[in-house]
Amino acid sequence: MIVTIGLILLALSGAPLFAVIGAGALWGFYQSEIDLSVVAIEFFRLAETPVLLAIPLFTFAGYLLSEGRAPSRLVRLTQSLLGWMPGGMAFVALIACALFTAFTGASGVTIVALGALLYPALKQAGYKKNFSLGLVTTSGSLGLLFAPALPLILYAVVAQQLGIGGSITVDEMFLAGILPGLLMLFVLMIWGLYSGRHLKLIPFSVTEASAAIKDAAWELPLPVILLGGIYSGYFAISEAAAVTAVYVLFVELAIHKDISFQQLPRIMHEAMLLVGGILVILGLSLASTNYMIDTDVPGLLFNWLHERVHDPLTFLILLNIFLLILGTMLDIFSALVLMVPLLLPVAVEYGIDPVHLGIIFLANMQIGYFTPPVGMNLFIASYRFDKPIAEIYRATLPWFLLLFGAVLIITYWPSLSLALLNRN
Amino acid sequence: MINLIQTSRQIIHRFEELIIAILLGGMILLAGSQIFLRNLFDSGLIWADPSLRIMVLWVALLGAIAATRENRHIRIDLLSQLLPQRSQSVMTVVHDLFSALVCGLIAWHSTRFVYFEWQDGTQLFSNLPAWVGEIIIPIGFTIMTIRFILNIPLHLLERKTA
Repeated sequence: MIVTIGLILLALSGAPLFAVIGAGALWGFYQSEIDLSVVAIEFFRLAETPVLLAIPLFTFAGYLLSEGRAPSRLVRLTQSLLGWMPGGMAFVALIACALFTAFTGASGVTIVALGALLYPALKQAGYKKNFSLGLVTTSGSLGLLFAPALPLILYAVVAQQLGIGGSITVDEMFLAGILPGLLMLFVLMIWGLYSGRHLKLIPFSVTEASAAIKDAAWELPLPVILLGGIYSGYFAISEAAAVTAVYVLFVELAIHKDISFQQLPRIMHEAMLLVGGILVILGLSLASTNYMIDTDVPGLLFNWLHERVHDPLTFLILLNIFLLILGTMLDIFSALVLMVPLLLPVAVEYGIDPVHLGIIFLANMQIGYFTPPVGMNLFIASYRFDKPIAEIYRATLPWFLLLFGAVLIITYWPSLSLALLNRN
Repeated sequence: MINLIQTSRQIIHRFEELIIAILLGGMILLAGSQIFLRNLFDSGLIWADPSLRIMVLWVALLGAIAATRENRHIRIDLLSQLLPQRSQSVMTVVHDLFSALVCGLIAWHSTRFVYFEWQDGTQLFSNLPAWVGEIIIPIGFTIMTIRFILNIPLHLLERKTA
């Protein structure tokens, strides 16, 4: 007990999370008198899970895209195609951010790479400063539910390792994320339309549109190849990641020449630093999860909860509150590997579909990124746009409330997540 | 002396960057050619998929080593902001010591694990001994242990100059 509290304190005070998780696993196995080399055996499972290959490859492709001029081509393209509509510039920002975040994972890259382009463009289109600030801050994690976002992959990996509630594949998570992701996008687009109702419309320009399409001609097929390949079942996830990495490398290096060969080692290093950080946590949590399951911690948790909470609905309400708080403190990757092994068995006991739980989990984490007062993206935005944090709070609040509403719909309407799957 | 340390550190960092680049480049090439072979010739390299999985493990640990060097491991950054300067530096030392201890223990026990596998002569695929793939676990955690210990004087120095 004292050890557990000590570990939690260490984690909260900012000790590297992988060390805290590793210590927990070591201590647990030591107490059960199991040889500690089991931690290494569990860690080696990183090399026995084929889908994990997708993580370094997608991350690298995402970093490569954000380092070059792909973001500005993406903004130009959406602007020329959608900019003429009422609320057009807001649509542009939302769609560009969602697409970009799906590829880069919500690591704050979107705000840094796209925010600088979108914020001035929004203000120029006549949107109020607070609206624009709120939009770019919120959009930093929008698109988390769209393939091939890393958190969707990671959830499936963690859930598979648990082996409960039937098999959960990455493909299923990719399918399940579509409608909830679109709902979030749709809600924010309505808000954009409403806020921009007084603005002058910009006429559609055929020349600019065709120029923008030509400019982005090489990147345009990417989502089609990738998503088409995955959803048609032609590519396995790791294959799709390999195709993406090869294609992006070719386009950025050979066609656009945005990135020189000399820059590659640095970009690779940056990308693998993130990958290493995530995978070392995953590897050690495989060990700690194993220990937790052996000692049936989830079962104890469920029994304790079940005496107090009888119906799934109350459980879901509590889950929402808990995840919202969790999302402001933990980054999405650590939250996944730490909490899913605890929550999934409990949620399955309450009759919640594992895939649905994953979507609830990620949707909550998504808004945790900008939940005041400590969401990570609030600070990134404050830093990036050089605005006091209180101003960011005010600007983001309406957006937060709207997406919170969307999260509630996603939570209490399972079919939205499960409709595209052949499960029910 | 300080110059010597600086230069050797830089050489080591460049070396690490190089290995990561070679590994990742190799993964992209290998995974890419696998798809190419499958689709055009309906064939593939038998050893490619298991090698790729081992390379994921290697890249993970090399990335973690780099994250240790740059002090960029994933952590909860909540309470540390609220503490005064002085207790912050105390906490950094506590965290470094704690992480070094954990990494050291994992390094030791994974060395034992790899040693058992070597003794048993376990094989991964096509006669490749299993320990060749697994050896990165003790290596990685040993280097991280050393890094966390070295971080302590480095952090203290940074505090002093800052």
